[in-house]
Amino acid sequence: MDNLTQSQWISLLVPLLVLQLALMITALVVLVKAERTRGPKWLWAIIIVIVNLLGPIAFFLFGRRAD
Amino acid sequence: MSLSLKMKMKMKMSTGMQKWLVLFRKEWLEIVRSYRILWLPIAFAVLGASQPITSFFMPDILASAGNLPEGTVISIPAPTPPEALAGALSQFGAIGLLLVALSSMGAVSGERTSGTSAMILVKPVPFASFITAKWAALVLLASLSLAAGYGAAWYYTETLFGSVSWRDALPAVLLFALWMSFVGTLTLLFSALLRSAAAAAAAALATAAALSLSASSLPFEQSWNPGRLSALAAGRLVASAASPAGGQTAGDVWLTVAVTAIAMLAALFASARAVRRRPADA
Amino acid sequence: MALLTVDRLTKRFEGALAVDEVGFSVGEGRCAALLGPNGAGKTTTIRMLTGLLAPTAGTIALEGMKPGQDRREWIGYLPQHPAFYGWMSGHEFLVCAARLCGLSKKEAAERSGELLERVGLGAAGKRRIAGYSGGMKQRLGLAQALIHRPKLLILDEPVSALDPIGRREVMTLLGELKSETTVLFSTHVLPDAEELCDDILVMAAGRLAAGGSLAGIRERNRQPVLSLETEGDARSRAWLAAWLKRLPDGFETASATSTGARLVVRDLEAARRTVLRELADENVRVTKLEVGYTTLEDLFLKAVGSA
Repeated sequence: MDNLTQSQWISLLVPLLVLQLALMITALVVLVKAERTRGPKWLWAIIIVIVNLLGPIAFFLFGRRAD
Repeated sequence: MSLSLKMKMKMKMSTGMQKWLVLFRKEWLEIVRSYRILWLPIAFAVLGASQPITSFFMPDILASAGNLPEGTVISIPAPTPPEALAGALSQFGAIGLLLVALSSMGAVSGERTSGTSAMILVKPVPFASFITAKWAALVLLASLSLAAGYGAAWYYTETLFGSVSWRDALPAVLLFALWMSFVGTLTLLFSALLRSAAAAAAAALATAAALSLSASSLPFEQSWNPGRLSALAAGRLVASAASPAGGQTAGDVWLTVAVTAIAMLAALFASARAVRRRPADA
Repeated sequence: MALLTVDRLTKRFEGALAVDEVGFSVGEGRCAALLGPNGAGKTTTIRMLTGLLAPTAGTIALEGMKPGQDRREWIGYLPQHPAFYGWMSGHEFLVCAARLCGLSKKEAAERSGELLERVGLGAAGKRRIAGYSGGMKQRLGLAQALIHRPKLLILDEPVSALDPIGRREVMTLLGELKSETTVLFSTHVLPDAEELCDDILVMAAGRLAAGGSLAGIRERNRQPVLSLETEGDARSRAWLAAWLKRLPDGFETASATSTGARLVVRDLEAARRTVLRELADENVRVTKLEVGYTTLEDLFLKAVGSA
C-alpha cells in the first residue's frame, strides 16, 4: 500500500464520497420539501448528515409519509 | 371462423399484456418517485466499494489502532482478487438483502391498508398481473442495484488487488442475483399473506437465513435448497467457499437453480391467490 | 329489465352474520339507493357486488354478461373513502385506471381530460394527489369510477364525508349521471335517497327490510297518521306517557317525544273521535292535532327499529 501515491488515494476515495454526498443531499432536499414526516424534521436532518449512508437510507425507508 | 377466433385471442392477449405493462409502469413510477431508484443502487455501490477498500487498508487500520506491543508484526494475508470480490458478495448477502426486504416489505399489505389495492382491483385486471408486475419491478430494481454494487466492487478489486476473470465473476453474480430475487419474492409473498409490513420483512429474512444456515451447516445433500445459492456464488470465485460442509459437486448447480425458479413461481402463485382471496382490508 | 340481480346474498364474519340472505334487483337505467343506518351491512353488500369480498353464499348476476366474463368490466365503483397514490397526479391516476379497463392510450388521455373537467378538477389534474383535499379526492374518485363508461355505477356513501358545499356539488353531479347509467348508491341519509332515486332498498341489521320503487313504497305504506302536540306542562306529559302505554286497538306509535306523538292509525274517523274524547276528558292542553299520512321517514324508522 506504500506504492499508492496521494493522487491515487484520492481517485479511489472521491467517487465513494461523491456517491454518499449525492445521497445525503437528495435526502435533505426531500426532507425540506416534505409536508409531513414521521418524527421531527430537525432530528431527521441530524440523522441524515451524521449517520453515514444508513442515515439517508433510514430516512427514505421510514421517515417519509406516503400520501 | 378459426381466423377470427385467432384474431380475438390475439386481441385478448394484447389487452392483457397492455394491462400488465400499465401495472408495471405504475410500480416503476413509484420506485422512481419514492427515490428507491436512487438510494438502493447507491447503497449497493457504496457497500461493494467499501469491502475491497476496507480489506486493503485493514493492516493500516489495525496498526494505527495502537494498543499493540512494540515490535508486533501484523501478518494478515492480503486477499486474492477473487476473495475480495467474494467479500463484497457476502456484504450484499447480509445488508444488501436486508435493504431489499425493507424496501419492498409493504408491497401488498401497504396497498391493502391504504385502500389503493381496492381502487386497482375493482378494475378488470387479473390478480396475477397485479402481483407479477410488482415482482418484475422489484426484481429489476434489485438487479440494477446488485449490478451497481458488483460493478463498484469489481472496479475497486481490480485497482487494489488485481483482475478477476469475467468467466468467474459473471456466473457468480448471476447465481447471487437469483438468490436475491428469491428473497425478494419471499418478501412479496409474506407481504401478501401478513398484515404487518415489518412482519413480512422479518419472515422473509428469517426464511432466507434458515435456508442458508441449513445449507452451510447440515451435513447432507441439499441440492434442492435455494439457501445454497449464495455459497455457490462465492464458490464460483473462491473454490474453498463452495461447500463448507458437504462435498457437493458443481453438477447439481442447475438443480438448485431449477428448484429456486420453481419455488419462486409457486410463491407468486400463492401471492396472487392471497390477493384474490383478500383484495383489500375491510 | 333488471340489470343487476342479487339472490340470497350472505356474508358471515367469524360467526357474525353481516349480510343475511339479501335479495333485490336493480333495473337498467334506474337509480337505486341502499338505505340504512350505520352497521346495517350496506358496505359489506357493496363490497361483495364489486368483487372485493367473497360472499359466504348467494349469487350476483348482471344481465347480458357472457359466461365467464369479468363482472368488474361493467362496474364502476367509488368506495366510501377513496384512496389514491399520493405520488401520482390526478390525470396520471385516471389514465392508469382507464388503461386498466382496456382503453387505448389515446382514448385514456381524452377521457381523463374530459372527466377531470366534468368533476371540476381541470386545473388540479396536473398536481400530485397528495395535495388534494377530501372533496377533491371524492370527485377524483367519481371520475375514476366513470372512466370506462360502466353500465352499473356503485357508490358507497358518496356524500357523507363532505362539507355542505362539496355535498351539493356531488349531489348535482349524481343527478346528471343517473340519466346516463344505472346507479346504486348507499346512504344513511333519507333525504339524499329521496332526492335522487327511483328505487330504495332499506337495510337493517343485515337484512333487506323494505324495497321497491320510491312511489310504490310511498303508496303501499301510506297510512293515516295523527300528530299530537301538547303545551308540555306536567299534567299533559303525565297523561301522554300513561296513554301511550295503554293505546287503544288500532293505534300504533310511529315516534314520540315527551310533549307529543305521531300515531299511525287504522281507521282515521274512529281514531279521531277516540282522541278528541280522551283529550277533553283528561283536560289535556293540546296545541296541535293534525291528520296526515305516513312519510318515508316513518317507514324508514319503523323498518330500522323493528329489525
